[in-house]
Amino acid sequence: MDETQDKGMDRRRFLTVLGVSGAGTAALTGCSTDRVQKLIPYLVQSEDQVPGIPTWYASTCTECASGCGLHVKTREARAIKLEGNPAHPVNAGKLCARGQAGLQSLYNPNRVRGPQKRQADGGTTDVAWADAIAELAAKATAAGGKVAVISGAGRGTFSDLLATWTAALGGKVVRYQPFDHEPMREANRQVFGVDGLPAHDFASARFILSFGADFLETWLAPVENQRGFAASHGFSDGTMARHVALAPRMSLTGMNADEWFAIVPGSEAAIALAMAQVILAERSSAPSDATALRGMLAAYAPDQVAQQSGLTADQIRLLAREFVSAGPSLAVAGGIGSQHAGAAQVCAAVNILNYVAGNVGRTVRFGADLDSSDGYAALASLQQEMDAGQIAVLLVHDANPVYALPKSSGFAAAMAKVPYKVSTALVLDETAALCDLILPQSHALERWDDLRPRAGVHSLMQPVMEPVFDTLAPGEVLLRVAKAAGGPLAGLQAASWDEYLKTEWQGVARNRGAGNFATFWVDTLANGGLFDETAAPAAVRLAAGAAQVVGTAPAFVGEGEFLFAPSASPMLYDGRGADKPWLLENPDPVTKITWQSWVEIHPETAADLDIREGEILRLVSESGSIEAPAYLYPGVRRDVVSAPLGYGHTNFGAYATGRGANALDLLPAPNGAGFVSYVSTRVRLEKTRRYQKVAKTEGNTRQLGRGVAEAMALGAAQKGLTPEEAHHEEAGGAAHEINTPRELDAIAGFAAAQKAATLKGNYAGEHPQWGMTIDLAKCTGCSACVTACYAENNIPTVGESEVLRGREMSWMRIERYYEGGHEGEPLETRFVPMLCQHCANAPCEPVCPVYAAYHTPDGLNGQVYNRCVGTRYCSNNCPFKVRYFNWFAYNKKAFPEPLNLQLNPDVTVRARGVMEKCTFCVQRIRGAQNEAALEHRPLRDGDVVTACAQACPSSAIIFGDRMDPESRVARSAADPRGYHVFEETNVRPSVTYLAKVLNGAEA
Amino acid sequence: MRKLASVFGGTLLLTLAVAFLVRDAAATRQGATAVNDSLIAPTLTPSDSAALKGPRQPIFFRHDIHAGQYKINCQYCHYSVSVSSEPGIPSMGTCMNCHLVIGGTDSTAQREIAKVREAYNTSTPVEWNRVYFLARHAHFPHMRHINVMGPNACATCHGDVTRAPQVFKVNNVNNMGFCINCHLERNVSRDCSVCHY
Repeated sequence: MDETQDKGMDRRRFLTVLGVSGAGTAALTGCSTDRVQKLIPYLVQSEDQVPGIPTWYASTCTECASGCGLHVKTREARAIKLEGNPAHPVNAGKLCARGQAGLQSLYNPNRVRGPQKRQADGGTTDVAWADAIAELAAKATAAGGKVAVISGAGRGTFSDLLATWTAALGGKVVRYQPFDHEPMREANRQVFGVDGLPAHDFASARFILSFGADFLETWLAPVENQRGFAASHGFSDGTMARHVALAPRMSLTGMNADEWFAIVPGSEAAIALAMAQVILAERSSAPSDATALRGMLAAYAPDQVAQQSGLTADQIRLLAREFVSAGPSLAVAGGIGSQHAGAAQVCAAVNILNYVAGNVGRTVRFGADLDSSDGYAALASLQQEMDAGQIAVLLVHDANPVYALPKSSGFAAAMAKVPYKVSTALVLDETAALCDLILPQSHALERWDDLRPRAGVHSLMQPVMEPVFDTLAPGEVLLRVAKAAGGPLAGLQAASWDEYLKTEWQGVARNRGAGNFATFWVDTLANGGLFDETAAPAAVRLAAGAAQVVGTAPAFVGEGEFLFAPSASPMLYDGRGADKPWLLENPDPVTKITWQSWVEIHPETAADLDIREGEILRLVSESGSIEAPAYLYPGVRRDVVSAPLGYGHTNFGAYATGRGANALDLLPAPNGAGFVSYVSTRVRLEKTRRYQKVAKTEGNTRQLGRGVAEAMALGAAQKGLTPEEAHHEEAGGAAHEINTPRELDAIAGFAAAQKAATLKGNYAGEHPQWGMTIDLAKCTGCSACVTACYAENNIPTVGESEVLRGREMSWMRIERYYEGGHEGEPLETRFVPMLCQHCANAPCEPVCPVYAAYHTPDGLNGQVYNRCVGTRYCSNNCPFKVRYFNWFAYNKKAFPEPLNLQLNPDVTVRARGVMEKCTFCVQRIRGAQNEAALEHRPLRDGDVVTACAQACPSSAIIFGDRMDPESRVARSAADPRGYHVFEETNVRPSVTYLAKVLNGAEA
Repeated sequence: MRKLASVFGGTLLLTLAVAFLVRDAAATRQGATAVNDSLIAPTLTPSDSAALKGPRQPIFFRHDIHAGQYKINCQYCHYSVSVSSEPGIPSMGTCMNCHLVIGGTDSTAQREIAKVREAYNTSTPVEWNRVYFLARHAHFPHMRHINVMGPNACATCHGDVTRAPQVFKVNNVNNMGFCINCHLERNVSRDCSVCHY
């Protein structure tokens, strides 16, 4: 094994130091060629790597449990970008910000670089793999069955092997993910007698009702949810679904709702049951077995529920009627941000609501069997055993329970009682810091593996490059331990983990009747796995437990005027994102805060308490306290304060450690519950009179009449009105003129002069004119495009202090504006992805003294870095603030070894003193042109896809040649909803936005 | 001391200072009938390479012997030049395709070929000194140029390596005028963003 691996390394080692690939792009040299540079050839040419041409591998994302398919772009045998696998049923070619940031987990400078052993003094020392494995083998066999494993790995061949391995030792495995969906599973058992998670079809739902489920952020499979949500809720063919969110805090999902109701925390179940009551009372078409629930539901008549819920009885009735008349509809519950002690009952009530409305089997499809873990109850019982000294050897894999559980749970203390603890952590985290032996695992992009995220989906992973550090696949470790230990593990014999996995897949191939395994394997690998058509949803009926569902609000512990409702961060997820600069710098979609945690408080409450933004607030519960700066957020109830989860690591690499406050510190111990109740405690709020500037990128929260983010009512959109006409109709006033006749005269004259100028030199002849449309009816503000842009264009992250000075380099940013929200009006949120508009009449171009900003013949607003002398006049003259100045050599700090290996060799790494901005991914345009030229064909529509358009889970962004009337972008830009931002400035942008469509309540 | 003048790229005169030059009888015998005499590369030793233009390389690889005398196609070694922006540096395995059996006829060649075999057998690739380096803010797609100008167009920028015992920088490829002149002559795009991004 050792031999073959070493040989493989030589064959495929990436040896180009400079130039062949531009691998050392971190340093931008000038034109000087004095430096001696080396060209180091391959020893043997790899068959699947041609220098300068990317090689793509199919793989699977492991950044959350949803198991999206990946296409990994590699150049000269190093991964440089992650994109979605279009053939994969979960994400269909799209990928969220977290998934794309998986690269920064692969190249994280904080990764454990080799096996380590704890010393008596608490430090660690490097050990050889053979010694480490021998030690673990000895300890595991000597443990006499007192072996336990905590694994966060998804369901797949590895988790099967882990179960077999542990069972052979007489131990037990607890599969644990912090953001598991225990309440949903419990509710499904109770109401339907089904143990498993269904798939949810957002795409065909016409009315989506969220009971605190943040389905665009962390709930089940966010990318899949968002794809479906954009398909149904995006305006197309004159229709769109309606989305209503019920939650004490407006999460990103709530921001994308047509209506958000700030209901009383804990009243979700009662509202759902009241709606079910209305439906059963008013409709006869409900399933026959549901009528038996009439008696139980009688206690939840809207009038009774209204008082305690924050909704009026009429609102509940209206919601119920809309819900049942818009067939199929979909109600979802079970989000982390509303997981209180009664969460299982909320999910159960929502199950009943879906059932009586006839959605089960249509939009709620059981049988999909989404992967979920064993739940907190299993971990809690293991913790008891650990506490009682019944565990001698503990192996922690892909899990960080010391951080992810509230400190009050006492997990760390219980773990300390285990004499021998082993971790396979990528980065030394809070749990690994307590372990005696650290066997760093190879990243998912460096190893063979597979996942079964749901029924019918076998998703494969393959090594796309040699391991960056001295690491092993966890499966390999198990097999080597088995070999070294013998005895009970003697049955687990395989030459290597790769062989073991292949043997398992030979079984899969046989079951499918595939004749030739070699062909099957190559095809499956290229496809990314086996994706069988989803079978018809399993039929489910109400179980006896359905009648026992109760809608009483849970009790919250503690004293204090505020209820504490932490929010699940769409960037940091359960905390694992906190060591990735891309995710820390990508602003939280809701608050637009980067690099730090915060406390959300309603502006009116803040005014009452004389709290201004940035005042450091101390939240005190019975279990602990946290301190973080205040952020005034109109999307949170007046009696609730919120803080993001995922911050406040105490030991998780240089990026995460000590950053922000850990909201879990406030939570009481989840004793006896089957899940962690994130919303469980009241808190006292103490002012500290200390202030901290909040590193946010939001600028002004209001549009102030500038017309950046336009929206129109569904009715106006159906009539085919333009945003302008929609405004007139709404105002009932006379036509508003954008430009005066004199201005129009000047514009026409200027346009003629420009036209004459374009007949010369390079500009003569036919050129494509690149353009983009962004459909705001589909954009959810998820910020996947932002990370895609960072990854594609070598954008440096600048860090908290530079963000505070407004120097973030985000070529693409998501602007978020509020509408309404004053004096009881509903609060509406609009998102606008803002990037260089590539104006045909760009104000930045004529002011550049060195012609660094200029217009290309193909309609781009070019920026020539080597010409730029950094006067910044262009930025001053840009109405959109999309030009970013590289104040310091950000690239030197942003890409410490080995993060620099991620850099895209096709894009210049900008040095200090250079203005930079969105290029419409010009490297992709030139690449596609080169490819077309080699094939002697013209460019086709769709050949060029910018990084942002590729990533967008909503498919809101379309890119192409505006001059081609048949192109998707030209047809999309002709939509009556299309408008340009700052039309009145006559800059003639190449980016057309399609106005958001608001689907208000039916009268 | 003998001085040998040879013409490079039709325009350049290269004066080589050669310590001593012995024509290898065997090489001449083998090549005499098939190869035009002017293409028979002179026999040089590594110590001569110090006096040749261009950086001295760890192995005295002679383009004039491989590409000139034996007329090996450029793309045999620079395998990706017609498909990729990168021309491709031959792997050690590519060298061994021939040098597994060709051990060299004179002591100099034998010594240099032994270095290739040694590098291959010990898995330590040769670290060539780079001659041409294009600044990273400029992008030069080799394949576009080769496909338009033909497989022998390498000499346009790199000079006639078939006569170069040691490769040296014939043209400063970082001089943008060098690019632009050609683009003007052929009336192809001079737009900045075609190369700079």
